[in-house]
Amino acid sequence: MFAIDQYAYTSRLRPVHPGEKLAFALVTMVICLASVSPAAPLAVLLIMTGAVLFRAGIPWRFYLKLMTLPLSFLIIGVLTVAVSISTGPPPPLLSGRTLGGITIGFTAASLQLAVLLFVKSLGAVSCLYFLSLTTPMVEVISLLRRFKVPALFVELMSLIYRFIFVIMETAEKMYVAQSSRWGYASIKTAYISLGQLVANLFGKSYHRSQALFTALQSRCYNGDLRVLETPRAPSRSNIMLIAAVDLFLAVLALYTGGGLIARIHP
Amino acid sequence: MPEFILEADTVEFSYPDGTRALQGVFMRIPRGAKVAVLGSNGAGKTTLFLHFNGILRPAGGRVRFDGREVRYDHRSLMQLRKNVGIVFQDPDSQLFSASVFQEISFGPLNLGLPREEVRRRVEEAMQATEITGLKDKPTHLLSYGQKKRVSIADILAMEPAVIICDEPTAWLDPKHAEQVMELFKRINNGGTTVILSTHDVDMAYSWADYIFIMMHGTVIGEGTPEEVFQDGELLFRADLARPRLVETWAQLRNKGLLPADLPLPRSWTELFELVPTRRAPGTGGPAPVYVLDREGTPACAACSARRR
Ligand SMILES: Nc1ncnc2c1ncn2[C@@H]1O[C@H](COP(=O)(O)OP(=O)(O)OP(=O)(O)O)[C@@H](O)[C@H]1O
Ligand SMILES: [Mg+2]
Repeated sequence: MFAIDQYAYTSRLRPVHPGEKLAFALVTMVICLASVSPAAPLAVLLIMTGAVLFRAGIPWRFYLKLMTLPLSFLIIGVLTVAVSISTGPPPPLLSGRTLGGITIGFTAASLQLAVLLFVKSLGAVSCLYFLSLTTPMVEVISLLRRFKVPALFVELMSLIYRFIFVIMETAEKMYVAQSSRWGYASIKTAYISLGQLVANLFGKSYHRSQALFTALQSRCYNGDLRVLETPRAPSRSNIMLIAAVDLFLAVLALYTGGGLIARIHP
Repeated sequence: MPEFILEADTVEFSYPDGTRALQGVFMRIPRGAKVAVLGSNGAGKTTLFLHFNGILRPAGGRVRFDGREVRYDHRSLMQLRKNVGIVFQDPDSQLFSASVFQEISFGPLNLGLPREEVRRRVEEAMQATEITGLKDKPTHLLSYGQKKRVSIADILAMEPAVIICDEPTAWLDPKHAEQVMELFKRINNGGTTVILSTHDVDMAYSWADYIFIMMHGTVIGEGTPEEVFQDGELLFRADLARPRLVETWAQLRNKGLLPADLPLPRSWTELFELVPTRRAPGTGGPAPVYVLDREGTPACAACSARRR
């Protein structure tokens, strides 16, 4: 999570208007999820991966690692869809066997569904990664603010985001201080140390929130965390590019609407 | 215009847990001055500063800004906080936004200024603190010194009449500490009154126009740096060391290397200019420096260096 945050601030797509990136990721994801054939999601996966690796300059190793994160869930999910178990008369199996009246195997329909599910999920995940690897949280929050999302929600989000790091740092310092005094030398001391760390962290966080409130007050805080946004000019060529890519994907999704496998096995 | 911009008149304050943090503080801050407040840990510096800005309310005594007693209704408080800005000791408890630009814009926006004016002030504050290059960096990726400078810019952008900075140089490396002190000098040249708290006597001596020494919740001494740091008894009571410059000067004077009637120098350069160059008799060149070698017979420093 912290690595994603760092890449978001240093990616080559950072200067691009966050609204454009958000629109691109969301529209593409909708097309990907709405498609009933694997062709469009596959194209989405390729395009997003290309954008992340070549336009944003994220190292491929890191991206690959991120993509494998949802893979384990995905494989389990896809397998349960692909394998059909039935007790009645055996359906037209592509392969499988019957044992004592129970048929286990793949049918064309279940396989097709599994493949579709697999590429759709990966495609959607790649859209989300594109957004989070190129657009820092700060800018996402600004965007929400501009879209008139309720102030309370936006302010909470930005404070939480900021404090995740402050608290992480505090916890890290305490951990170092404890382990340098053999606080984690054995399982028993480790439990004790961890308990103290958590308890202290709570106290410290409370203290920090008080200190923050004092500091805000001294800058004339009166209930509204108002900040100034730096205006960003949207780029016409980027918008055209996004429109073209998404149009292509939409057409692809519609044109292949019947589904690839369905065509091969009518 | 009153001569003193901020006054604490026998201010008393206790924290809810019963700590009597301030016990009748009397402090008057000269308008447009560079003021240093010295005092050991727990002397009450931070607590006093929070009174100057209306965050804490005195249990006894009063605080005056610009000759008028501070009132604690909403509008008077906003007015006071607009004029008196505090840079807090720990930047992490001051910075609330992950974006440097947005962070600095918070104060001026609260003052109800138009957006263009806010933008101008933020840019200026970033320039003054040399953080323009960090504008798009998130605050959690900044170093401590950078965070400190952002927290100073926070207050600069509000353009207050008085800037209070709690321990500006603690944990800064010498180079950045120097830079921050230079920055405060520049801010002061623009007419802003600057108050700093510090434990660094050397820094206080060379930087400040006026010094207060606090201890156990009271002011136990005040005056110009020359006055304060020549008062051995006061320094002893406050547990403070003499600035190295003053110490060196006193030693040189006691050893007869400096005439007794010269004023106290404010910088090392000034001191070195006071030290006369002794000429070796007859030659016109600098006299050789003698050191005692092991046998106790004087030997020429240059010769012994060559021998080694
Ligand atoms: N929130 C608090 N609750 C209770 N006691 C406090 C609180 N803050 C400070 N004190 C106490 O008040 C006294 C004065 O503290 P203060 O922070 O003003 O000292 P200081 O001069 O700023 O010290 P330092 O140089 O360490 O920053 C101390 O004894 C301290 O323990
Ligand atoms: Mg303090």
